[in-house]
Order: sequence, then C-alpha cells, then structure tokens
Amino acid sequence: MALTGRAALLALLGTLVVLTAPAPAPAVAGVALLIAAVVAVDLLLAGSVRPLRLHRAGDRLVRLGETATVELIVENPGPRRVRGVLRDAWPPSAGARPRHQPLDVPPGERRRLVTTLTPSRRGDREAVTVTVRALGPLGVAARQGSHRVPWSVRVLPPFLSRRHLPAKLTRLRELEGRHPSMVRGQGTEFDSLREYVVGDDVRSIDWRATARRHDVVVRTWRPERDRRVLIVLDTGRTSAGRVGTAPIPLAGARPRGGGVPGAPEGTATVPGWPRLDWSMDAALLLAALATRAGDRVDFLAHDRSVRAWVSGAGRGEPLSTLVNTMAPIEAELVEADSAGMVAAILARAGRRCLVVVLTDLNSASLEEGLLPVLPRLSSRHLVLLAAVSDPQVTAMAAGRGTSELVYNAAAAERQSAERRRITARLRGHGVEVVDAAPEQLASALADAYLALKAEGRL
Amino acid sequence: MSLGTAGETEAAAPGTEAAPTSPTVRERLRAGWGVLLVALIVILVAVAGVLLGGGPDRGRPLDPAGASLSGGKALAQLLRAHGVHVVRVTSAAQAGERSAALGAGNSTLLLSDTSFLGEDEIREISALRADRLVIGPQTRLELLAPQVTATGEVRARSREPGCALDSATRAGSAYMGGMTFGAPPDAFRCYFGDGAPTLVRYVRSGLTTTVVGDGQFMTNQRLPEDGNAALAVNLAGARPAVIWLTAPEAVSGTSARKSLYDLIPPGVKGAAVQLALVVLLLALWQGRRLGPVVVERLPVVVRAAETVEGRARLYRARRARDRAADALRAGFLDRIVPRLGLPPAAGPEATAGAIAERTGQAGTHVGAALYGPPPPDDAGLVALAAYLDMLERQVRES
Repeated sequence: MALTGRAALLALLGTLVVLTAPAPAPAVAGVALLIAAVVAVDLLLAGSVRPLRLHRAGDRLVRLGETATVELIVENPGPRRVRGVLRDAWPPSAGARPRHQPLDVPPGERRRLVTTLTPSRRGDREAVTVTVRALGPLGVAARQGSHRVPWSVRVLPPFLSRRHLPAKLTRLRELEGRHPSMVRGQGTEFDSLREYVVGDDVRSIDWRATARRHDVVVRTWRPERDRRVLIVLDTGRTSAGRVGTAPIPLAGARPRGGGVPGAPEGTATVPGWPRLDWSMDAALLLAALATRAGDRVDFLAHDRSVRAWVSGAGRGEPLSTLVNTMAPIEAELVEADSAGMVAAILARAGRRCLVVVLTDLNSASLEEGLLPVLPRLSSRHLVLLAAVSDPQVTAMAAGRGTSELVYNAAAAERQSAERRRITARLRGHGVEVVDAAPEQLASALADAYLALKAEGRL
Repeated sequence: MSLGTAGETEAAAPGTEAAPTSPTVRERLRAGWGVLLVALIVILVAVAGVLLGGGPDRGRPLDPAGASLSGGKALAQLLRAHGVHVVRVTSAAQAGERSAALGAGNSTLLLSDTSFLGEDEIREISALRADRLVIGPQTRLELLAPQVTATGEVRARSREPGCALDSATRAGSAYMGGMTFGAPPDAFRCYFGDGAPTLVRYVRSGLTTTVVGDGQFMTNQRLPEDGNAALAVNLAGARPAVIWLTAPEAVSGTSARKSLYDLIPPGVKGAAVQLALVVLLLALWQGRRLGPVVVERLPVVVRAAETVEGRARLYRARRARDRAADALRAGFLDRIVPRLGLPPAAGPEATAGAIAERTGQAGTHVGAALYGPPPPDDAGLVALAAYLDMLERQVRES
C-alpha cells in the first residue's frame, strides 16, 4: 500500500479540528481513527494490482544511439477500475522514458503504454519490474504491487564507420574492374579462357589450349576470391582504456569531479570511448568490405579465454550475426593471454588466412605476450595488427611553453617512441601494423586490407 | 545493408512469462510472523513489568512511605523498630498540630524538602518547640537554623566523623557531603569536607538543631552502607517521636507553582500531536518508492592516457630533465633523420652536421641541443623543446 498527499492534507485539516475541540485528546484519537478508516475504505475500493495481466511487444534490437520503443499492454481482468501510476523500470543505461506514466484501465479492458529506450551503452538491457500504484476512489491511499514482465533489448554496436563503406566498395570495384585484364600477377587467379583479340597481351596466350582448339586463346585473370579473413578482438584490460571522444555519450562515463589536478587544460574532460568499441567499429567495416569482396570472415573475441566465435561459413547475413555477437562483449579487466589466443586462432584457422588482431600497441604487454608466440602465427598466416592510438597523447606531445607542458610532451614522446619501436619489431616479424587515431582506424584498416588484396598477399 | 533493427513482436519464450513479484498479504504474514511474535513478546514483557512493578512511585526523596531508592521507608521502619513513633506530615499546620499533641521537647522535626512551604509556614515551623533535623540544601536556612550558614558544597562520599559528637562517633564513617556550613563556636562540627563541616549540631534553649549537608545517607539505597543507618537512627531517634515533613502528593492542588508546559492550552498540545501525525503521513507518502531501486553493473572508466599523464607527473616531481630531454631528442631525431635522407645508424656528428647544413644554424648549437648535456633547469628544458621545434620547422620548410 501507499499513501498520497491527501492523507497528510486530511490530517492537517484535522489539526484545526483538534485546536478548536473542547477535549483535545479524544479529538486527536478521533481524527486518527477517521483517517485510518478513510485509508482502509480507499484501499478496499482501489483496483487490485495483483491480477493485472501484462504483456510486452516492440523492439528487440536497437543500434546504439538510436531509440527503441517497447510497448506494455496492461489488461485489467478485475471488477474495479485500476487508476494510478505505472513505472516500467529499466536499468539506468537503457535510458527509459518516461519514468512514470499515468494508468487508467477500466475493468475488462486493456491499455497500451509505450516506453522509449535510448540506450547509452552496448549490451543486453533487461527490463526489471513493472510497478503499479492503483489509487482508491478518494485518492487517499493506493495499492501497490510489482510484476516481472521479462523483455530484453539488445543494443548493437553503432557501426559508425559504415559511412566509409561506399567509398571503400568503390575502390574494391576499381580493383576488380581493373583486372579482367590479361595481366597475371600476384593476387590473381585463373578466371577463364577466351579468344584472342587484337591488343591482348601476347604473354597471356595459353599455348596448350590454343593447340587444342586451333585458335589463339588467352587466359583471363581476376582478383582472388574466397580468401579467409579472421578478425581477432582482444578484450583484455588494454581494451578498456578510453580514447578519443565518444560519439555517443556513455552512461557512467562522467569524469570524476574536477578531473586530475595539475593536468593540462582539457585533459580531464569526457573520458571517451573504450578501445574495444573503436576496434569493433573497425572490425565491422572490415567485415562488411571483405564480405562484399567475396572473402569469408570469421570473428574471434579473446582475453583469457574465447569470449565469442563467429564462423563465416554459416549462411544468412554474416554481418548481422557479427553485430549480434559483438553487442554483449565487454572489456575484461584481466591481462590478455596471447599464447591462448594464438592457440585458439591456430585451432580455428586451417587454411592460410589474414589474421587481423585488434589490440593495443602496448610495448610491455606485447613484448611479454604476443611477440614470443608471434612466429607460430605469422609462419602460417598473414598477420595484421591494428591498434587505436590516443589523440590525447598526440596533443600532449605538442605541448610547449611551460615546464609542465614540456614534461607532458616528453612523456608522450616516450610513449610514441615505444610504439614506434614495437611497430618496427612487429614489422620485422612480417606483421602488418595499422596504428591510427580512433576516428581513422576503421578507414585505415579497410585501406590496409584493400592494399593487401591489390598486392594479392591474402 | 540492413542490420535487422526491426523488432520481433512474438510472445516471450516459455518460462519467462510475466508474473507478479509482490508478496500477497498471506505471504507477507508468513514471512513476517517471527518479527510480529518478537514484537508481541516485547510488548507483553513491558506491560507485565509495569503492572508488576507496582503503582507509579514518583520517588519523592526522603518520604517515610517511599519505597523507591531515594525514599525513606527503610529508615522509618528502622526507627519504629527502635520504638520511635514516626509521624508523617505534609504541611506546616499538620506539623504544628502533631508537635503540640506530643508535647514540647518530645519530638524531632525532620525537614528535608521545604521548597513547597511558604515563608510564613517556615516561620511557623521554626517556632515549634521540637528538635530540628534539617537535611540537605535549604532556601530558608537562616529561619530553620539561625546560627548556621551555608559556605560551600562538596561531593558526597564516605567520610569519618572527626568530632566528639556521640551520635556520630558511635556510628563511625558515613556517606556525607553536600553543603558545608559555618557554625557557632559551641556547636559540634562533624564530617568535614574542604575544611568545613557537613554536619552541625548545636543546642539553644534546650532544643537541638542538627543540620546535615546531604540526605543521601538516609535513603533506602544508602542506609545499609557504612554507619549510615546508625547515624540516621542516632540523629532522628533521639526523641520518642519523629515528625517527618514531606511534600504533599498533589503538587498542583493548592500551590500556584505551574510550569510553562502547564500554561499551554490543551488544544495546542493536541494540535502538536496532530501535526506530528501530519509529518508521519507526509513521510509515508514521500518515502514509498514506486518499485525497487534498479542496480546496474557499470563499465570501468579509465582514460588510456592516464599512464602517460602519470609518467609526466613523475618526471615533473623528480625534475627528471635528463630523461625528458632524451625523450624529446629521440622523438625529434625519429622524425627528422628520415627527412634528411640519412641512414638510421648515422652518427651524431653526421646528423648534427646535416641538420646544421639544412637549417643554417651553427653546427655546435645543433650538436649541443641534440647530444649535449641535459638542461640545467626547467627553463632550459622549455628552451630546448622550443629550439627543437624551431629546427624541425626549418627542416620541414627547407
């Protein structure tokens, strides 16, 4: 049960009665009894909450940054009208609006209430409870009860880099369109035989076929297809670090009051987006591009164990499967197990493939983790390591003027030097490295993929 | 490409149907009966305690009928056992009446709380032909014991008699203290505290007046300790009868002494109670939440640049100019050496020479900036950074 302000108002009016009454003590008791009686009557006459039947309908999936609507159908099978307030409770990061809504369901009827969700984070958002407060006819007291009406909305990665996709696809088509040429090179495979026409490169004449057919026949080539791309997402502790500015404000990501003392101006503002999310964005663009290019895309998320595995062999829309799989992945605050990751990759990738590892170019963790086991991987597969650089560090490196800013610049230079050193070591192992600012990573990774494809190194 | 954000609208999977989660009244009773039982037992015990504990004992101090810790019932019974007649009176008129009936010099008038008496009544009492035993602080001590003045106050504790008064020496140590007195020269002074007596006895015209600083030794609580009982009996039981003056039960009866609380009209008090009820109802109204608080696991918020900032603060805290300068120089060389077309392994002289040649700066200057000793102070570091910037800009533009 719950009381309303009217009960207090009644008691306040009772104060006047008590003030003027000849015998105050019985008057106080009388007023209290009267209020109790009114509350009891109101509770008895209020619509019952417990037998209400609630159902949900609406969106199950929403992209981060967009708005989903979830409908709640309230059916009142009881004999009395249910009038009052309803709260459809969702976790704070689901961004449910409105928080409370008025409810008025006559007996035997049903009403549809709409809650809009504007989530501020990826992942699954589960509805918590629906609480109904049914007022009595006098509006003095209310019955209150909760129902569990399960519903889950999966918040997908926003795939902001899809705006780069048309440009990259154009480049892919150029790559393909250039190739029905007669030039045989690396990265091409045999396409077909056709009759020689004047102007064809004589080097592409297939003499054996010419001998069989009594006609000059040339071979044509096309860019290789049906290669395999394995995208590996490192979900270890380094992926939790926030870089850049979040394109979508995150719940719970407000900077703690005042920021870091002594930090340069502007460093303690919005903490940005996790590396993991930027990596996902890049992975999605690469997956979309590679799927269009006719390659098979597999996806592995790994920290100390395999968090997710999507095989591109499955039919259907590979990208939506990928997006669905990525949605609930969160960064784990453990050191990634690179040896385990390499073992997982080797176990899953039979044929030679392009292994794209999305991680951080952190020299300490790479030197101890990935570098010792890298030869096992790079001897069988082509490895591309993509990492998000921190624009904050770049900005710090440019700081001049005061000693504080110069010390910051020195620290940033040192970090950059370490990154360059580890990049050089990785390249020495035959690993391709893409190191780009958060907003440019997806595009840079796609370019690197296209370059590899053009070179025929897949 | 579509990501299929259009929702599915079919019913929820089996096993996850909607269900009420609030307990019914019966469930609530079943869950809470233990608490209810405990509350009931507590109430029962409290009621029983009040009922068995006898009527309300207001605990008037040193009342011969008072059975509370501060009452005097034990002493009254002790006196009766010693054959002393104990008469309880509650007004000056009664006291005068009983004193006259007992005859002059045959009674001891025991006075402790006289605050309920008017000045006339005190004069009336002090004119009575009876021994007087004045206990504790008094407002009209000059009327009750004209020779004695209150001089100070000491803590009540067990004290030795320290005098030749027979009643005191026979009783021995007693729980004395309270007021200390100044007394006439022929008086007995006993139980000293701070050099002044807390018991004074003197005789005037055949009547004994005894003044005691504190009455606790006569209470039910203290009577069994030390020589308290003996002292009390010796002091009070010297005559065949004790006229024991205590405050009357009904304070509000005749006296005009009313507290501020009594002056408030009863309606206002009722209204205050009623307002308390209003506050309670307001609290219930505002305190009831619409459903449970929703908890959520929040992601960790760590800016990736924090390690770099931490390193910068360490450099600054330790004034690590050598390391800072090395980092700045290394970054500069990494960017500039490829631009100069030099091999990465080119020596310092070659590099400095090439840079000097491209920029037109003095070679010694460039060499000192790139390979010289670390700057001696922070200003030097700032200047070094600016100089490197300048060199870099000139190399890029040349």
